[in-house]
Formats: sequence, structure tokens, C-alpha cells
Amino acid sequence: MWLRSIAVRRIRVEALKASAEINGAELVRRARAGDGIAWEDIVTAYSRRIFNLAYRFTSNVEAAEDLTQEVFIRVYRSLDQYDAKQGDLTNWLMRLARNLIIDDYRHRQRNPQNSMADAVDDHQYHLRAVGTGAHKDMERRELASQVQEGIDKLPADLKTCVILRDIEELTYQEIVDVLQIPEGTVKSRINRGRIELAKILRRMRVVTI
Amino acid sequence: MANTTSKVMDCTAFEARLSDYLEHTVEKDVRKAMAAHALLCPLCHSLMNEVKNAIAACRKVAEPKPALTRLDAQILARTMPAAAINCDEFEAYLTDYLDGFLPANVFHRWERHAVLCDDCTDLPGEVVRSLGILISYKSEELPIPFGLHERILERTLGTSRARSAKASWSDRFQEWVRGFSIPISVPQLAPVAIMALFAFLFVTQTVSADGSLSDVYAKSYQLAEQTYEQGANVWNGKPMDAPAISQESINGTTAVSNTDANN
Repeated sequence: MWLRSIAVRRIRVEALKASAEINGAELVRRARAGDGIAWEDIVTAYSRRIFNLAYRFTSNVEAAEDLTQEVFIRVYRSLDQYDAKQGDLTNWLMRLARNLIIDDYRHRQRNPQNSMADAVDDHQYHLRAVGTGAHKDMERRELASQVQEGIDKLPADLKTCVILRDIEELTYQEIVDVLQIPEGTVKSRINRGRIELAKILRRMRVVTI
Repeated sequence: MANTTSKVMDCTAFEARLSDYLEHTVEKDVRKAMAAHALLCPLCHSLMNEVKNAIAACRKVAEPKPALTRLDAQILARTMPAAAINCDEFEAYLTDYLDGFLPANVFHRWERHAVLCDDCTDLPGEVVRSLGILISYKSEELPIPFGLHERILERTLGTSRARSAKASWSDRFQEWVRGFSIPISVPQLAPVAIMALFAFLFVTQTVSADGSLSDVYAKSYQLAEQTYEQGANVWNGKPMDAPAISQESINGTTAVSNTDANN
């Protein structure tokens, strides 16, 4: 029964991913009317992506989980503001999530006592079990952990730009819109962030010459 | 004659002098003899071609291109020191270089610095490799922690069982109404409403004395009737009756009285 419910959920997630773009406006319309199933579909379709984005910034599973919940609460309260004519649901929802996660990151940078960065070594980094063996899985896990550690060592402004550009794959203009800083500054931070990250990974012997 | 020379040059001697022959360092008569032997002996001819190709391949592989580039860079650095860029500038242009957006004049100076500066020479490769690592890192996503969905639903819907959260009729109706699009946006209606209100106030407060719009028409009708009646009486020579309607002023006008009419 339990396995069956997991399988059903997995199938539903895949189906939702495929149809999310098409039915985004319809899902929001139903969720606004109080349809719990529609809201659950939205949560299921986007929670993993938002959780992982939060994790890139916080480096802590629990903090990322809390942040993901905050994002969805904000989204739920803002459903009335969604206008399908202004863009699809993914763009709207991810923009909201990014703004909230970055605001939280900046806040934690200003208040280091709330920082979760020290707990980076405490978490277990789980990867999908699609590898070609236990040893390979372990290597990938180790590499991912080291990369996250390297990213965490970047200064906050550089880290934000590198994540948004090289992991989230936002355009320069989108980063300008999210961070509200000039395009020249964005380009400069991305360049500096990449160089610093390369140097950090070299020192950590993740990147070898 | 050629046959005689080729007889002198046998295959062993040809092989022994082949390298010198290809390097053009043999005497003229020996060269002639070797050429004649190569024409007559298919094995030695084939061997000569193989050695020629091998030498050409080795020369191609061993082309000292980087050394020459470094040499060029060194010469330019010594002769045109002003054209060189420093390490900070080199790093500032790195992403533009990788993206292929570097202008030609900066491009050559950048590459020269990459060749000459020991601190910077490995940096572009490291950045490219770390970007590659980021791409593979990006594809590795953490799974959703157990129970996160339920907690989100609990905090938004008030229950972790989404099926139990049904839309009420009023909410559905409101959402249905929202679905209708009004051709004029709501903010644009505000000035129209204000203008309509002012027009209404203007008409009701200035035209009619008693403040009602319908009264204007009623009183004007009565006035017209009374005037007609007075006119008819005067024409027929009859005495005039007292006016039937009240004599209160209507917006600055007065009813025509008998006295006025007699005067």
C-alpha cells in the first residue's frame, strides 16, 4: 500500500511536470477557488526545484526545508496576484521563490548567528540512485559535497551571481531584475565568482591541472 | 649506364644511405645511383616513400607552435611593453574571452599574457573545468525530505489531506466571475464615474429649484400651458384668472402673473 502510494505519486509528478506549463493557469484558478488537489499538484510539481534552490544557498537540509515551506506559504497567499498573461506559472513561481530565498540569504549574511553554513559538514548529500555502482555513487556524492563546500566559500555577492547564472541558468537581464543591480556589476560578479570558485576548487584539489 | 650504376648500388647500400639521400646530404653521383635504384627496385621505392611520410608526420607532430607563440609573445612583450595587460585585467576579461566576446585588440594581448604569465596560464583551463563540474553538480538534485509536502499542505490548506479541502460554492462563484474579462479596465472607470457624478450634481442643483430633475419638466410644462392660456384670454378679451401654479421661482425665472400681463 505504501509502495503503491509512492509509485502513484511518482507517476503523478512526471505527469505534472509534462503538463505544468499547459495547465498552470488552470491549476492556479482552481487553487484560488479552494481546490486542495490543484494546490497539491502545484506543490508536487515545484517543491523539489525550490527545495534544491534553497539548499544551494543555505547548504543545510533543514534550513532549505523551512525556506521551501515559507516560499509555498507566500505563493499560496499570492495566488490572487498571478496573471497568466504576464507569463507562465513556472516563471512567476520561480521568480517569487528566488526573491524570497535571496532575501533570506542576504538576511542571514547580515546576521551571521542565523547562518547555517557551519552545518555544511553535518548533512548527508543524497543523490539519485542511477549510478553505475556503489563506488561511483560515493565518488559523485563526494564531488557534489565538495562543490557545494566550494560554493559556500565564495563571498555572498559572488555566490549569488554564480548560482543564478551557472546553476539556475538565468540570463544577465533576469539576474539584473532579481538582484536590482546594474548589468555591468552582474557581469563583473559572475566573472569574479567563476575565477574565485576555480581557485577554491583547485586548492581543494577538486579541479586538477 | 643507369643500369650499370644501379648495379653498383644494391639494396643494402640504398638502405644505409637512405636518410642522407632524403636529407640531400649525399654526393651527386651517389644521389644519381640511389635515384636510379629507387626507380628500378619497387621494394626500395616503397621503403623510401614510407620513410618520407614518416618524417613528414613526425615534423607535423613536433611542430613547435606553442614555443613559437611564446617566443612571439616574449618578443612583443620586450619590444612593445605598453601593449601588455596585467593579471587583474587578464582576469577581468576571462569570461568575455570564454564567451568569445573579446575585441580583437584585447584578444591578442590577453592571449599573450596567458602564454607569458606563469600565475595565469592555467587559470582559463581551471575555470572551464570548474564550470563543467558545476554543470554536473546542477544535474544532481536532492530528493524532497520525507513529509515536506504534507507539512506545506498543513500550513497552507490547514490539512495535509488535499482531497478534503474542497472549494466552497461562494469561492467557486467568485472565481467564475473573475474569469470574465471586462473590456475596460477598472481604473479607467474611475474618471468616467466622477464625470457622471459631477454632471448629475450640476443638472440637479442648478436647473431645478427644488433639486429634482423631473420637477424642471413639470414646471416648464405648466408654465407653457399657463402662458398659452393667458395669451388666449387676452386675445378673446376675457378677464384673466389667477395663475394655477405656484409662483416660486424656477432657477431664476418667474411665472408670468396677471399683473405683469396687464402691464
